[in-house]
Amino acid sequence: RAMVFVLSEAGKPIYSRYGNEEALSSTMGVMMALVSFIQSGDNAIRSIYSDDRKLVFVQQGPLVLVSVSRTLQSEQQLRQELLYVYYQILSMLTQVSITRIFERKKNYDLRRLLAGSEKILDRLLNLVESDPGFLLGAVRCLPLPASQRDALGALLQKAITPNLVFSILVAQSQLVTAVQERAVIEECRLEPTDLHLLLNLIGASSAFQAGEIWTPICLPRFNPDGYFYAYISYLDAECTVCLVLLSTDKESFYAVSDCKKRVEEAMRTQGSLQVLSGGLQSPSYSVGQVGVPGYPGELPPAAPVHQRQLSSSPSPELEGPYCSEEEQQRLFDLYHYLHSRIHSTSRPLRLIYHVAEKETLLAWVTSKFELYTCFSPLVTKAGAINVLTKLLRWIKKEEDRLFIRYPPKYSTTPNPGKGTKGGRPDGAENGFFAGL
Amino acid sequence: MKKPDGKVVLLGDMNVGKTSLLHRYMERRFQDTISTVGGAFYLKQWGPYNISIWDTAGREQFHGLGSMYCRGAAAVILTYDVNNLQSLIELEDRFLALTDTASTDCIFAIVGNKVDLTNEYALLLERADESRPEKPVTSCISTKVQKQVHLDDAVALYKKILKYKMLDEKDVPAAEKMCFETSAKTGYKVDYLFETIFDMVVPIILRQQAEGPPQTVDITNYKSAKRTKSGCCA
Repeated sequence: RAMVFVLSEAGKPIYSRYGNEEALSSTMGVMMALVSFIQSGDNAIRSIYSDDRKLVFVQQGPLVLVSVSRTLQSEQQLRQELLYVYYQILSMLTQVSITRIFERKKNYDLRRLLAGSEKILDRLLNLVESDPGFLLGAVRCLPLPASQRDALGALLQKAITPNLVFSILVAQSQLVTAVQERAVIEECRLEPTDLHLLLNLIGASSAFQAGEIWTPICLPRFNPDGYFYAYISYLDAECTVCLVLLSTDKESFYAVSDCKKRVEEAMRTQGSLQVLSGGLQSPSYSVGQVGVPGYPGELPPAAPVHQRQLSSSPSPELEGPYCSEEEQQRLFDLYHYLHSRIHSTSRPLRLIYHVAEKETLLAWVTSKFELYTCFSPLVTKAGAINVLTKLLRWIKKEEDRLFIRYPPKYSTTPNPGKGTKGGRPDGAENGFFAGL
Repeated sequence: MKKPDGKVVLLGDMNVGKTSLLHRYMERRFQDTISTVGGAFYLKQWGPYNISIWDTAGREQFHGLGSMYCRGAAAVILTYDVNNLQSLIELEDRFLALTDTASTDCIFAIVGNKVDLTNEYALLLERADESRPEKPVTSCISTKVQKQVHLDDAVALYKKILKYKMLDEKDVPAAEKMCFETSAKTGYKVDYLFETIFDMVVPIILRQQAEGPPQTVDITNYKSAKRTKSGCCA
């Protein structure tokens, strides 16, 4: 897979995906020499192509990120992957503090601050290469009947406290529902990227499985310089269902912890945990469900792109020849290739029919959705289109179950007309705007 | 909302075993833990009291938060690794200042963890095993390392802390009582540590309850009181 390095402008190693940074310091030295040589000519190095490899460079403030890859991934996709790594680092440290650190001391060893976080970056890179959600800029969501999802959303809407801005319910890294503060959503929306980073952080560490966690976290696409305070707690003994509450007030732990108790209580009366474990056990969707028999292979990851909404995408069950990890990886590499052709900056496409060695692929992008499908190698063009039509009809029918379309909202800013009731009205403003 | 009655905070450099100590005490077992993120909150019922325990991350990344987790703390457990002198030095250099936000009558404990890795501990076991001479313990000793930090060093740090806090040795528990050596892996003196601390926290809880809510709340109350007054005048 792609080799990824992160180094500081002074050439100090910060992270490397494989191997030990110390042993790779001479390699990093060469990379930094390349970067600064091009820089001295008032230019920026973007990539180097060799016979079988691509080297992609991204510079973000005082950090230089480099990817060396032999896969089918395009330069643009590798760049995106590096940006994910950069954003994940920001999610832990914020942009402003990284800038400040290197302003003060050019040769600072950032590994001091990132110690213990390597696993988070390792996991992120594995996900970027295997979870179609990252490719599509959409978060994988748990298929659930709309009525049940709404009930859970309503439950989160009720368990609020001043300065709470996001309430997120997750089951095994799949989004169940996300509720946002009304004032926040007016200006911004919760970016799928930020959600990916947050979910990766939680999934990467078993440290969240004991006790109630209270930790600062930055959502870099929302605001690269500010921290939210995240309350993270699993709701079941098996650690499958996780509640994440983000507040702007770092002193609000006890109030937020109380919200969790209310959510827990309400979920118990509604039997929500059983509903969720049922949802987790039933397959997302499969060829059989769609009712298109006669085509081996599996169905595609599909993602409608709802502008200014939380994009979400369910993943189909991989079947047939794609059960092994290598085959899945090969398939995702092909999807990556199609994605890069479709989103090519020089020649963007809307529909692509690609006959590969072992399968035939069809990708389709409209203003509403983005769809990648894979068929047996013997399929005809007309046959593939026929299946696709059936699939889209089925997805339309199941839309409410498969996708999160309209995330609910709540309002936690105290109503000024009602005066100060039990909260800290000053804190509400300070907390939020200080965060910006 | 039911707030916990007293707060105990675990502080110390990364990898000294704070999470493992707490885990040994709460769950009665030792398992490989993962670097803590931020702070983890636990509640422990101690007699009629709910004692909150904050297990904090030792990583420098989370350093800025230490004082938040320490606010109003009744006890701070400063943890180091007996095989790592630097981890004791870090307690004074990096962690002591974080306790400025703790309660004024906060008690301090200094805990050297991982004694199971030292040859001293192996000798201790050997002595306990003398009644059963058939057990070959000598092979075990060879894998152990010379302990780097001795109890005297911890006692010296304790006295420095008292000086830093401008406390009189007569008014606080004796250094010998507040310096512990534990092993989260074997469970050696872990219960003793936490139970001693909890017993000492109870009188502080009673005093805090008698004095009313902590200072932080007073400020907000003061502000809102002022506002109501001006509202009245208008």
